[in-house]
Amino acid sequence: MTSTQVAGSFRDPGGFVFIVDGVVHRQVNERARDDYDLLHTSGLYDALVERRLLVAHEEVDVPAPRPGAYRVIRPQQIPFVSYPYEWCFGQLKDAALATLDIQLLALDHGMTLRDASAYNIQFLEGRPVLIDTLSFGPRRDGEPWVAYRQFCQHFLAPLALMALVDVRLGQLARVHIDGIPLDLASTLLPGATRLRPGLGVHIHAHARSQQRHAGDASRGRSPAPAKAVSDRALRGLVDNLRATVSRLEWWPPATEWRDYYAGDSYSEEAFARKGELVAAMVERVAPRSVWDLGANTGHFSRIAAAGGAHTVAFDIDPAAVQLGYDEVKKHGDTRILPLVLDLTNPSPAIGWANAERATLAQRGPVDLVLALALIHHLAISNNVPLGRIAAYFAELAPALVIEFVPKSDAKVRTLLASREDIFDDYTQDGFEAAFSALYDIEDRQPVPGSERTLYLLRRR
Amino acid sequence: MRMRSRLAWTLWLTLCLSLLVVSPAAAYLDPGSGSVIFQAVIAGAMAASVGVKVFWSRIRRLFARGERAPEDATR
Repeated sequence: MTSTQVAGSFRDPGGFVFIVDGVVHRQVNERARDDYDLLHTSGLYDALVERRLLVAHEEVDVPAPRPGAYRVIRPQQIPFVSYPYEWCFGQLKDAALATLDIQLLALDHGMTLRDASAYNIQFLEGRPVLIDTLSFGPRRDGEPWVAYRQFCQHFLAPLALMALVDVRLGQLARVHIDGIPLDLASTLLPGATRLRPGLGVHIHAHARSQQRHAGDASRGRSPAPAKAVSDRALRGLVDNLRATVSRLEWWPPATEWRDYYAGDSYSEEAFARKGELVAAMVERVAPRSVWDLGANTGHFSRIAAAGGAHTVAFDIDPAAVQLGYDEVKKHGDTRILPLVLDLTNPSPAIGWANAERATLAQRGPVDLVLALALIHHLAISNNVPLGRIAAYFAELAPALVIEFVPKSDAKVRTLLASREDIFDDYTQDGFEAAFSALYDIEDRQPVPGSERTLYLLRRR
Repeated sequence: MRMRSRLAWTLWLTLCLSLLVVSPAAAYLDPGSGSVIFQAVIAGAMAASVGVKVFWSRIRRLFARGERAPEDATR
Protein backbone atom coordinates (compact mmCIF):
# COMPACT_ATOMS: atom_id res chain seq x y z
CA MET A 1 0.00 0.00 0.00
CA THR A 2 1.58 3.29 -1.09
CA SER A 3 0.27 6.64 0.01
CA THR A 4 1.19 9.99 -1.51
CA GLN A 5 0.24 13.42 -0.29
CA VAL A 6 -1.62 15.47 -2.89
CA ALA A 7 0.74 18.26 -3.99
CA GLY A 8 -1.84 21.03 -3.70
CA SER A 9 -2.86 20.10 -0.14
CA PHE A 10 -0.44 21.81 2.24
CA ARG A 11 -1.96 25.09 3.47
CA ASP A 12 -4.29 23.80 6.18
CA PRO A 13 -2.53 22.74 9.42
CA GLY A 14 -5.75 20.88 10.27
CA GLY A 15 -5.09 18.12 7.79
CA PHE A 16 -4.25 17.15 4.24
CA VAL A 17 -5.29 14.96 1.37
CA PHE A 18 -3.43 11.83 0.35
CA ILE A 19 -3.95 9.02 -2.07
CA VAL A 20 -3.81 5.31 -1.26
CA ASP A 21 -3.98 2.96 -4.24
CA GLY A 22 -5.70 5.59 -6.33
CA VAL A 23 -8.30 6.43 -3.65
CA VAL A 24 -8.41 9.92 -2.10
CA HIS A 25 -8.25 10.09 1.71
CA ARG A 26 -7.93 12.95 4.17
CA GLN A 27 -5.94 13.01 7.37
CA VAL A 28 -7.62 15.07 10.10
CA ASN A 29 -5.00 16.29 12.55
CA GLU A 30 -5.37 16.48 16.32
CA ARG A 31 -5.37 20.27 16.13
CA ALA A 32 -8.54 20.14 14.02
CA ARG A 33 -10.25 17.68 16.39
CA ASP A 34 -12.63 20.21 17.98
CA ASP A 35 -13.74 21.69 14.66
CA TYR A 36 -14.18 18.28 13.07
CA ASP A 37 -16.19 17.03 16.03
CA LEU A 38 -18.32 20.17 16.09
CA LEU A 39 -19.07 19.72 12.39
CA HIS A 40 -20.71 16.42 13.30
CA THR A 41 -22.21 17.15 16.73
CA SER A 42 -23.76 20.44 15.56
CA GLY A 43 -25.68 18.57 12.86
CA LEU A 44 -24.03 20.67 10.14
CA TYR A 45 -22.41 17.69 8.45
CA ASP A 46 -25.74 15.87 8.07
CA ALA A 47 -27.52 19.02 6.93
CA LEU A 48 -24.90 19.72 4.26
CA VAL A 49 -24.67 16.15 3.00
CA GLU A 50 -28.45 15.86 2.88
CA ARG A 51 -28.60 18.95 0.66
CA ARG A 52 -25.67 17.60 -1.37
CA LEU A 53 -23.55 20.65 -0.58
CA LEU A 54 -20.66 18.78 1.06
CA VAL A 55 -18.96 15.63 -0.13
CA ALA A 56 -19.90 12.72 2.16
CA HIS A 57 -17.17 10.79 3.91
CA GLU A 58 -16.61 7.81 6.14
CA GLU A 59 -14.02 7.35 8.82
CA VAL A 60 -11.67 4.54 7.85
CA ASP A 61 -9.02 2.45 9.45
CA VAL A 62 -6.25 3.41 7.06
CA PRO A 63 -2.83 4.18 8.59
CA ALA A 64 -2.26 7.95 8.80
CA PRO A 65 0.73 8.91 6.66
CA ARG A 66 1.95 11.55 9.11
CA PRO A 67 2.05 11.90 12.92
CA GLY A 68 -0.54 13.98 14.77
CA ALA A 69 -3.56 12.33 13.17
CA TYR A 70 -6.96 12.33 14.86
CA ARG A 71 -8.92 10.60 12.09
CA VAL A 72 -8.50 9.37 8.56
CA ILE A 73 -11.56 9.87 6.39
CA ARG A 74 -12.40 8.63 2.92
CA PRO A 75 -14.64 11.06 1.02
CA GLN A 76 -16.90 10.10 -1.84
CA GLN A 77 -14.57 10.13 -4.85
CA ILE A 78 -14.66 12.91 -7.42
CA PRO A 79 -14.40 11.35 -10.90
CA PHE A 80 -12.64 14.34 -12.46
CA VAL A 81 -11.09 17.29 -10.62
CA SER A 82 -11.84 20.50 -12.52
CA TYR A 83 -10.70 24.06 -11.95
CA PRO A 84 -12.54 27.40 -12.00
CA TYR A 85 -10.80 28.48 -15.21
CA GLU A 86 -12.33 25.44 -16.89
CA TRP A 87 -15.87 26.23 -15.79
CA CYS A 88 -18.43 28.09 -17.85
CA PHE A 89 -20.22 31.09 -16.37
CA GLY A 90 -23.13 28.99 -15.09
CA GLN A 91 -20.84 26.54 -13.34
CA LEU A 92 -18.91 29.32 -11.59
CA LYS A 93 -22.18 30.97 -10.59
CA ASP A 94 -23.63 27.73 -9.20
CA ALA A 95 -20.38 27.11 -7.32
CA ALA A 96 -20.61 30.64 -5.86
CA LEU A 97 -24.22 30.19 -4.76
CA ALA A 98 -23.39 26.79 -3.26
CA THR A 99 -20.57 28.39 -1.25
CA LEU A 100 -22.94 31.04 0.13
CA ASP A 101 -25.64 28.46 0.91
CA ILE A 102 -23.03 26.42 2.76
CA GLN A 103 -22.04 29.49 4.79
CA LEU A 104 -25.69 30.28 5.66
CA LEU A 105 -26.23 26.69 6.77
CA ALA A 106 -23.00 26.80 8.77
CA LEU A 107 -24.20 29.96 10.55
CA ASP A 108 -27.45 28.18 11.40
CA HIS A 109 -25.35 25.55 13.17
CA GLY A 110 -23.03 27.93 14.99
CA MET A 111 -20.17 27.44 12.58
CA THR A 112 -18.59 29.43 9.75
CA LEU A 113 -16.70 28.74 6.53
CA ARG A 114 -13.05 29.61 6.93
CA ASP A 115 -12.28 29.50 3.20
CA ALA A 116 -14.25 30.41 0.14
CA SER A 117 -11.79 29.08 -2.41
CA ALA A 118 -13.32 28.11 -5.73
CA TYR A 119 -10.87 25.18 -5.76
CA ASN A 120 -12.71 23.74 -2.76
CA ILE A 121 -15.76 23.23 -4.95
CA GLN A 122 -15.95 20.30 -7.36
CA PHE A 123 -18.69 19.03 -9.61
CA LEU A 124 -20.05 15.71 -8.45
CA GLU A 125 -22.95 14.09 -10.28
CA GLY A 126 -23.65 17.33 -12.09
CA ARG A 127 -23.73 19.54 -8.99
CA PRO A 128 -21.24 21.72 -7.16
CA VAL A 129 -20.13 20.32 -3.79
CA LEU A 130 -17.63 21.43 -1.18
CA ILE A 131 -14.78 18.94 -0.93
CA ASP A 132 -12.89 20.51 1.97
CA THR A 133 -14.40 18.92 5.06
CA LEU A 134 -11.98 20.88 7.27
CA SER A 135 -13.13 24.33 6.08
CA PHE A 136 -15.43 24.83 9.08
CA GLY A 137 -14.74 26.45 12.43
CA PRO A 138 -16.95 27.72 15.26
CA ARG A 139 -18.60 31.08 14.68
CA ARG A 140 -17.36 33.44 17.41
CA ASP A 141 -19.45 36.44 18.41
CA GLY A 142 -18.60 39.58 16.54
CA GLU A 143 -16.06 37.95 14.27
CA PRO A 144 -16.17 39.06 10.63
CA TRP A 145 -16.31 36.49 7.81
CA VAL A 146 -12.64 35.72 7.24
CA ALA A 147 -13.39 34.29 3.80
CA TYR A 148 -15.16 37.42 2.54
CA ARG A 149 -12.16 38.67 0.58
CA GLN A 150 -11.56 35.22 -0.90
CA PHE A 151 -15.19 34.88 -1.93
CA CYS A 152 -15.12 38.22 -3.72
CA GLN A 153 -11.84 37.35 -5.48
CA HIS A 154 -12.66 33.75 -6.40
CA PHE A 155 -16.29 34.18 -7.34
CA LEU A 156 -17.84 37.64 -7.45
CA ALA A 157 -15.06 39.40 -9.38
CA PRO A 158 -14.73 36.82 -12.19
CA LEU A 159 -18.52 36.43 -12.45
CA ALA A 160 -18.99 40.20 -12.76
CA LEU A 161 -16.21 40.43 -15.35
CA MET A 162 -17.62 37.52 -17.35
CA ALA A 163 -21.18 38.85 -17.24
CA LEU A 164 -20.49 42.54 -17.76
CA VAL A 165 -17.23 42.76 -19.73
CA ASP A 166 -16.33 39.55 -21.59
CA VAL A 167 -16.94 35.92 -20.73
CA ARG A 168 -13.33 35.11 -21.69
CA LEU A 169 -12.13 37.03 -18.64
CA GLY A 170 -12.89 33.85 -16.70
CA GLN A 171 -9.43 32.84 -17.90
CA LEU A 172 -7.89 35.44 -15.57
CA ALA A 173 -8.29 32.81 -12.85
CA ARG A 174 -5.53 30.84 -14.55
CA VAL A 175 -3.07 33.65 -13.83
CA HIS A 176 -4.42 34.73 -10.45
CA ILE A 177 -4.61 31.47 -8.51
CA ASP A 178 -6.01 33.18 -5.38
CA GLY A 179 -8.75 34.88 -7.36
CA ILE A 180 -8.94 38.13 -9.30
CA PRO A 181 -7.44 41.00 -7.27
CA LEU A 182 -10.30 43.37 -6.50
CA ASP A 183 -8.43 46.47 -7.62
CA LEU A 184 -7.93 44.79 -11.00
CA ALA A 185 -11.61 43.83 -11.21
CA SER A 186 -12.56 47.37 -10.18
CA THR A 187 -10.41 48.80 -12.99
CA LEU A 188 -11.77 46.42 -15.63
CA LEU A 189 -15.47 46.68 -14.77
CA PRO A 190 -17.56 49.38 -16.47
CA GLY A 191 -17.62 52.62 -14.44
CA ALA A 192 -21.40 52.40 -14.08
CA THR A 193 -21.05 49.29 -11.91
CA ARG A 194 -19.83 51.61 -9.13
CA LEU A 195 -23.44 52.69 -8.80
CA ARG A 196 -24.82 49.18 -8.54
CA PRO A 197 -25.45 48.49 -4.84
CA GLY A 198 -23.93 44.98 -4.80
CA LEU A 199 -20.92 45.39 -7.07
CA GLY A 200 -20.36 48.95 -5.89
CA VAL A 201 -19.92 47.72 -2.33
CA HIS A 202 -18.34 44.27 -2.68
CA ILE A 203 -15.94 45.07 -5.52
CA HIS A 204 -15.30 48.79 -5.87
CA ALA A 205 -15.59 50.09 -2.30
CA HIS A 206 -14.06 46.84 -1.02
CA ALA A 207 -11.04 47.31 -3.30
CA ARG A 208 -10.68 50.87 -2.09
CA SER A 209 -10.76 49.76 1.51
CA GLN A 210 -8.07 47.16 0.79
CA GLN A 211 -5.92 49.86 -0.75
CA ARG A 212 -6.52 52.21 2.12
CA HIS A 213 -5.54 49.71 4.78
CA ALA A 214 -2.81 47.96 2.83
CA GLY A 215 -0.02 49.51 4.86
CA ASP A 216 -1.67 49.30 8.29
CA ALA A 217 0.51 46.50 9.64
CA SER A 218 3.76 48.13 8.53
CA ARG A 219 2.65 51.42 10.07
CA GLY A 220 2.05 49.64 13.35
CA ARG A 221 -1.72 50.06 13.20
CA SER A 222 -3.82 47.29 14.59
CA PRO A 223 -5.57 45.33 11.86
CA ALA A 224 -8.47 44.52 14.18
CA PRO A 225 -11.86 45.82 13.08
CA ALA A 226 -13.14 48.94 14.80
CA LYS A 227 -16.39 47.23 15.75
CA ALA A 228 -17.82 43.77 15.80
CA VAL A 229 -19.81 42.15 13.02
CA SER A 230 -23.05 40.89 14.53
CA ASP A 231 -24.75 37.66 13.51
CA ARG A 232 -27.41 39.67 11.80
CA ALA A 233 -24.87 41.73 9.87
CA LEU A 234 -22.99 38.60 8.82
CA ARG A 235 -26.16 37.00 7.57
CA GLY A 236 -27.02 40.24 5.79
CA LEU A 237 -23.59 40.22 4.16
CA VAL A 238 -23.95 36.65 2.88
CA ASP A 239 -27.52 37.35 1.82
CA ASN A 240 -26.43 40.47 -0.02
CA LEU A 241 -23.63 38.58 -1.78
CA ARG A 242 -26.18 35.96 -2.78
CA ALA A 243 -28.48 38.57 -4.29
CA THR A 244 -25.53 40.22 -6.07
CA VAL A 245 -24.39 36.91 -7.58
CA SER A 246 -27.95 35.92 -8.51
CA ARG A 247 -28.42 39.12 -10.49
CA LEU A 248 -25.39 38.43 -12.69
CA GLU A 249 -26.45 36.70 -15.89
CA TRP A 250 -24.72 35.69 -19.06
CA TRP A 251 -26.51 34.30 -22.10
CA PRO A 252 -24.55 32.45 -24.75
CA PRO A 253 -24.54 34.42 -27.99
CA ALA A 254 -25.08 32.58 -31.24
CA THR A 255 -21.60 31.32 -32.03
CA GLU A 256 -20.09 29.50 -34.96
CA TRP A 257 -19.86 26.34 -32.85
CA ARG A 258 -23.37 26.51 -31.56
CA ASP A 259 -24.72 26.02 -35.05
CA TYR A 260 -21.93 23.71 -36.10
CA TYR A 261 -24.12 20.70 -36.68
CA ALA A 262 -26.56 22.76 -38.72
CA GLY A 263 -23.88 23.27 -41.38
CA ASP A 264 -23.53 21.35 -44.59
CA SER A 265 -21.39 18.48 -43.27
CA TYR A 266 -24.17 16.12 -42.38
CA SER A 267 -27.71 15.27 -43.17
CA GLU A 268 -29.84 14.49 -40.16
CA GLU A 269 -29.79 10.82 -41.01
CA ALA A 270 -26.03 10.73 -41.41
CA PHE A 271 -25.70 12.47 -38.04
CA ALA A 272 -27.86 9.83 -36.39
CA ARG A 273 -25.88 7.08 -38.12
CA LYS A 274 -22.64 8.60 -36.84
CA GLY A 275 -24.09 8.48 -33.34
CA GLU A 276 -24.76 4.75 -33.75
CA LEU A 277 -21.22 4.15 -34.98
CA VAL A 278 -19.76 6.08 -32.04
CA ALA A 279 -21.98 4.21 -29.58
CA ALA A 280 -20.86 0.85 -31.01
CA MET A 281 -17.18 1.76 -30.77
CA VAL A 282 -17.55 3.10 -27.23
CA GLU A 283 -19.32 -0.11 -26.30
CA ARG A 284 -16.40 -2.17 -27.61
CA VAL A 285 -13.97 -0.24 -25.40
CA ALA A 286 -16.38 -0.38 -22.41
CA PRO A 287 -14.70 2.58 -20.72
CA ARG A 288 -15.36 3.75 -17.16
CA SER A 289 -14.18 7.23 -18.08
CA VAL A 290 -14.26 9.19 -21.34
CA TRP A 291 -12.86 12.57 -22.36
CA ASP A 292 -14.73 13.98 -25.32
CA LEU A 293 -12.35 16.55 -26.83
CA GLY A 294 -14.04 19.21 -28.92
CA ALA A 295 -17.41 18.10 -27.59
CA ASN A 296 -19.38 21.19 -28.60
CA THR A 297 -22.57 21.05 -26.51
CA GLY A 298 -21.94 17.38 -25.69
CA HIS A 299 -24.15 15.44 -28.13
CA PHE A 300 -21.67 12.57 -28.43
CA SER A 301 -20.66 12.88 -24.77
CA ARG A 302 -24.22 11.96 -23.90
CA ILE A 303 -23.96 8.92 -26.17
CA ALA A 304 -20.75 7.87 -24.39
CA ALA A 305 -22.26 8.53 -20.96
CA ALA A 306 -25.35 6.51 -21.83
CA GLY A 307 -23.08 3.46 -21.81
CA GLY A 308 -22.24 4.18 -18.16
CA ALA A 309 -18.94 6.04 -18.51
CA HIS A 310 -18.23 9.25 -16.61
CA THR A 311 -17.69 11.66 -19.49
CA VAL A 312 -15.97 15.02 -19.50
CA ALA A 313 -17.14 17.13 -22.45
CA PHE A 314 -14.38 19.61 -23.25
CA ASP A 315 -14.85 22.46 -25.67
CA ILE A 316 -13.02 25.68 -26.43
CA ASP A 317 -16.23 27.70 -26.73
CA PRO A 318 -17.66 28.98 -23.40
CA ALA A 319 -21.07 29.31 -25.07
CA ALA A 320 -21.12 25.65 -26.15
CA VAL A 321 -20.03 24.59 -22.65
CA GLN A 322 -22.75 26.78 -21.11
CA LEU A 323 -25.38 25.17 -23.34
CA GLY A 324 -24.00 21.72 -22.47
CA TYR A 325 -24.15 22.56 -18.76
CA ASP A 326 -27.72 23.82 -19.13
CA GLU A 327 -28.59 20.44 -20.68
CA VAL A 328 -26.90 18.58 -17.83
CA LYS A 329 -28.95 20.57 -15.30
CA LYS A 330 -32.17 20.19 -17.26
CA HIS A 331 -31.89 16.42 -17.54
CA GLY A 332 -30.18 15.85 -14.20
CA ASP A 333 -27.29 14.07 -15.93
CA THR A 334 -24.96 12.73 -13.29
CA ARG A 335 -22.25 11.37 -15.56
CA ILE A 336 -21.42 14.36 -17.81
CA LEU A 337 -19.17 17.24 -16.90
CA PRO A 338 -18.88 19.98 -19.56
CA LEU A 339 -15.69 22.05 -19.29
CA VAL A 340 -13.98 24.86 -21.19
CA LEU A 341 -10.64 23.78 -22.64
CA ASP A 342 -8.47 25.09 -25.46
CA LEU A 343 -6.82 21.90 -26.61
CA THR A 344 -4.10 23.86 -28.42
CA ASN A 345 -3.12 25.27 -25.01
CA PRO A 346 -4.51 22.89 -22.37
CA SER A 347 -4.66 23.73 -18.66
CA PRO A 348 -1.11 23.93 -17.31
CA ALA A 349 0.28 23.00 -13.90
CA ILE A 350 0.09 26.13 -11.74
CA GLY A 351 0.62 27.27 -8.19
CA TRP A 352 3.46 26.63 -5.76
CA ALA A 353 6.27 24.63 -7.41
CA ASN A 354 3.94 24.26 -10.40
CA ALA A 355 2.26 21.48 -8.50
CA GLU A 356 -0.89 22.85 -6.83
CA ARG A 357 -3.13 22.48 -9.87
CA ALA A 358 -2.51 19.67 -12.31
CA THR A 359 -2.26 19.68 -16.08
CA LEU A 360 -4.94 18.01 -18.11
CA ALA A 361 -2.77 14.92 -18.74
CA GLN A 362 -1.89 14.63 -15.03
CA ARG A 363 -5.57 14.33 -14.25
CA GLY A 364 -5.73 11.22 -16.39
CA PRO A 365 -5.31 8.63 -17.49
CA VAL A 366 -8.74 8.19 -18.92
CA ASP A 367 -10.00 5.00 -20.55
CA LEU A 368 -11.07 6.51 -23.85
CA VAL A 369 -10.62 9.76 -25.77
CA LEU A 370 -13.23 10.83 -28.30
CA ALA A 371 -11.96 13.20 -30.99
CA LEU A 372 -14.86 13.74 -33.37
CA ALA A 373 -14.78 16.44 -36.04
CA LEU A 374 -11.69 17.78 -34.33
CA ILE A 375 -8.56 16.78 -36.20
CA HIS A 376 -8.86 19.41 -38.95
CA HIS A 377 -8.99 22.16 -36.35
CA LEU A 378 -5.77 20.91 -34.79
CA ALA A 379 -3.91 19.96 -37.96
CA ILE A 380 -5.02 22.75 -40.29
CA SER A 381 -6.19 25.70 -38.17
CA ASN A 382 -3.38 25.20 -35.69
CA ASN A 383 -0.66 23.58 -37.85
CA VAL A 384 -0.05 20.65 -35.48
CA PRO A 385 1.55 17.75 -37.40
CA LEU A 386 -0.53 14.55 -37.35
CA GLY A 387 2.24 12.65 -35.54
CA ARG A 388 2.16 15.11 -32.65
CA ILE A 389 -1.62 14.90 -32.39
CA ALA A 390 -1.29 11.09 -32.20
CA ALA A 391 1.41 11.39 -29.53
CA TYR A 392 -0.65 13.67 -27.26
CA PHE A 393 -3.80 11.57 -27.56
CA ALA A 394 -1.73 8.45 -26.85
CA GLU A 395 -0.46 10.12 -23.68
CA LEU A 396 -4.03 10.73 -22.52
CA ALA A 397 -5.72 7.37 -23.10
CA PRO A 398 -5.12 3.79 -24.24
CA ALA A 399 -8.09 3.91 -26.62
CA LEU A 400 -9.13 6.53 -29.13
CA VAL A 401 -12.23 7.01 -31.25
CA ILE A 402 -11.28 9.57 -33.86
CA GLU A 403 -12.93 10.93 -36.95
CA PHE A 404 -10.78 11.73 -39.97
CA VAL A 405 -12.12 14.67 -41.96
CA PRO A 406 -10.59 14.82 -45.47
CA LYS A 407 -9.70 17.96 -47.42
CA SER A 408 -12.71 17.39 -49.67
CA ASP A 409 -15.05 17.93 -46.68
CA ALA A 410 -16.93 21.25 -46.67
CA LYS A 411 -15.61 22.19 -43.23
CA VAL A 412 -12.00 21.63 -44.25
CA ARG A 413 -12.53 23.48 -47.53
CA THR A 414 -13.72 26.45 -45.47
CA LEU A 415 -10.59 26.30 -43.31
CA LEU A 416 -8.37 26.14 -46.41
CA ALA A 417 -10.26 28.82 -48.34
CA SER A 418 -8.41 31.67 -46.69
CA ARG A 419 -4.94 30.17 -46.54
CA GLU A 420 -2.31 28.35 -48.54
CA ASP A 421 -2.58 24.56 -48.44
CA ILE A 422 0.74 23.55 -46.91
CA PHE A 423 -0.65 20.28 -45.57
CA ASP A 424 0.67 17.67 -48.01
CA ASP A 425 0.49 14.90 -45.37
CA TYR A 426 -3.11 15.66 -44.48
CA THR A 427 -4.63 12.71 -46.33
CA GLN A 428 -6.33 9.56 -45.15
CA ASP A 429 -3.12 7.58 -45.86
CA GLY A 430 -1.05 10.21 -44.06
CA PHE A 431 -3.42 10.04 -41.10
CA GLU A 432 -3.26 6.24 -40.89
CA ALA A 433 0.53 6.27 -41.20
CA ALA A 434 0.93 8.87 -38.44
CA PHE A 435 -1.42 7.16 -35.99
CA SER A 436 -0.22 3.63 -36.81
CA ALA A 437 3.15 4.56 -35.34
CA LEU A 438 1.53 4.47 -31.89
CA TYR A 439 -1.81 2.72 -32.32
CA ASP A 440 -3.33 -0.42 -33.82
CA ILE A 441 -6.31 0.29 -36.01
CA GLU A 442 -9.05 -1.90 -34.58
CA ASP A 443 -11.93 -0.64 -36.66
CA ARG A 444 -12.49 1.73 -39.54
CA GLN A 445 -16.01 2.83 -40.57
CA PRO A 446 -17.04 5.33 -43.23
CA VAL A 447 -19.46 7.91 -41.86
CA PRO A 448 -22.54 7.64 -44.10
CA GLY A 449 -23.51 10.72 -46.06
CA SER A 450 -20.02 12.21 -45.77
CA GLU A 451 -16.45 11.55 -46.86
CA ARG A 452 -15.32 11.16 -43.28
CA THR A 453 -14.05 7.99 -41.58
CA LEU A 454 -14.45 6.94 -37.97
CA TYR A 455 -11.59 4.95 -36.40
CA LEU A 456 -11.27 2.91 -33.26
CA LEU A 457 -7.60 2.88 -32.27
CA ARG A 458 -5.79 1.03 -29.46
CA ARG A 459 -2.49 2.26 -28.16
CA ARG A 460 0.28 -0.29 -28.51
CA MET B 1 -39.05 46.30 -4.37
CA ARG B 2 -38.70 50.02 -5.14
CA MET B 3 -38.65 50.96 -1.48
CA ARG B 4 -36.00 48.37 -0.80
CA SER B 5 -33.79 49.60 -3.56
CA ARG B 6 -34.25 53.22 -2.44
CA LEU B 7 -33.03 52.29 1.01
CA ALA B 8 -30.09 50.37 -0.47
CA TRP B 9 -29.36 53.41 -2.58
CA THR B 10 -29.27 55.72 0.43
CA LEU B 11 -27.01 53.37 2.32
CA TRP B 12 -24.79 53.09 -0.68
CA LEU B 13 -24.48 56.84 -1.12
CA THR B 14 -23.56 57.22 2.52
CA LEU B 15 -20.90 54.60 2.08
CA CYS B 16 -19.56 56.33 -1.05
CA LEU B 17 -19.28 59.62 0.79
CA SER B 18 -17.53 58.00 3.72
CA LEU B 19 -14.96 56.47 1.40
CA LEU B 20 -14.40 59.50 -0.80
CA VAL B 21 -11.87 61.01 1.55
CA VAL B 22 -9.48 58.09 1.13
CA SER B 23 -5.84 58.57 0.33
CA PRO B 24 -4.36 55.69 -1.64
CA ALA B 25 -1.67 53.58 0.01
CA ALA B 26 0.75 50.92 -1.16
CA ALA B 27 -1.46 48.04 -2.22
CA TYR B 28 0.98 45.16 -2.07
CA LEU B 29 1.24 44.59 1.66
CA ASP B 30 -1.87 43.39 3.34
CA PRO B 31 -5.18 43.30 1.51
CA GLY B 32 -6.62 41.07 4.25
CA SER B 33 -7.01 43.72 6.93
CA GLY B 34 -8.73 46.04 4.46
CA SER B 35 -11.37 43.37 3.87
CA VAL B 36 -11.88 42.78 7.57
CA ILE B 37 -12.25 46.47 8.39
CA PHE B 38 -14.50 46.93 5.39
CA GLN B 39 -16.90 44.33 6.75
CA ALA B 40 -17.15 46.25 10.00
CA VAL B 41 -17.83 49.41 7.99
CA ILE B 42 -20.67 47.88 5.99
CA ALA B 43 -21.98 45.73 8.87
CA GLY B 44 -24.64 48.26 9.81
CA ALA B 45 -25.96 48.47 6.27
CA MET B 46 -25.92 44.69 5.92
CA ALA B 47 -27.81 44.19 9.18
CA ALA B 48 -30.29 46.85 8.09
CA SER B 49 -30.78 45.14 4.75
CA VAL B 50 -31.94 42.00 6.57
CA GLY B 51 -34.41 44.12 8.55
CA VAL B 52 -35.68 45.77 5.37
CA LYS B 53 -36.08 42.41 3.70
CA VAL B 54 -38.12 41.00 6.58
CA PHE B 55 -40.19 44.19 6.81
CA TRP B 56 -40.82 44.23 3.09
CA SER B 57 -41.82 40.57 2.90
CA ARG B 58 -44.33 41.23 5.71
CA ILE B 59 -45.83 44.15 3.80
CA ARG B 60 -46.06 42.06 0.67
CA ARG B 61 -47.69 39.24 2.57
CA LEU B 62 -50.22 41.71 3.99
CA PHE B 63 -51.26 42.83 0.53
CA ALA B 64 -51.07 39.38 -0.94
CA ARG B 65 -53.54 38.08 1.61
CA GLY B 66 -56.53 36.57 -0.07
CA GLU B 67 -54.55 36.13 -3.24
CA ARG B 68 -51.84 33.58 -3.80
CA ALA B 69 -48.84 33.80 -1.52
CA PRO B 70 -46.07 35.85 -3.14
CA GLU B 71 -43.66 32.90 -2.98
CA ASP B 72 -46.02 30.83 -5.12
CA ALA B 73 -46.79 33.69 -7.45
CA THR B 74 -43.17 34.09 -8.47
CA ARG B 75 -42.71 30.45 -9.30
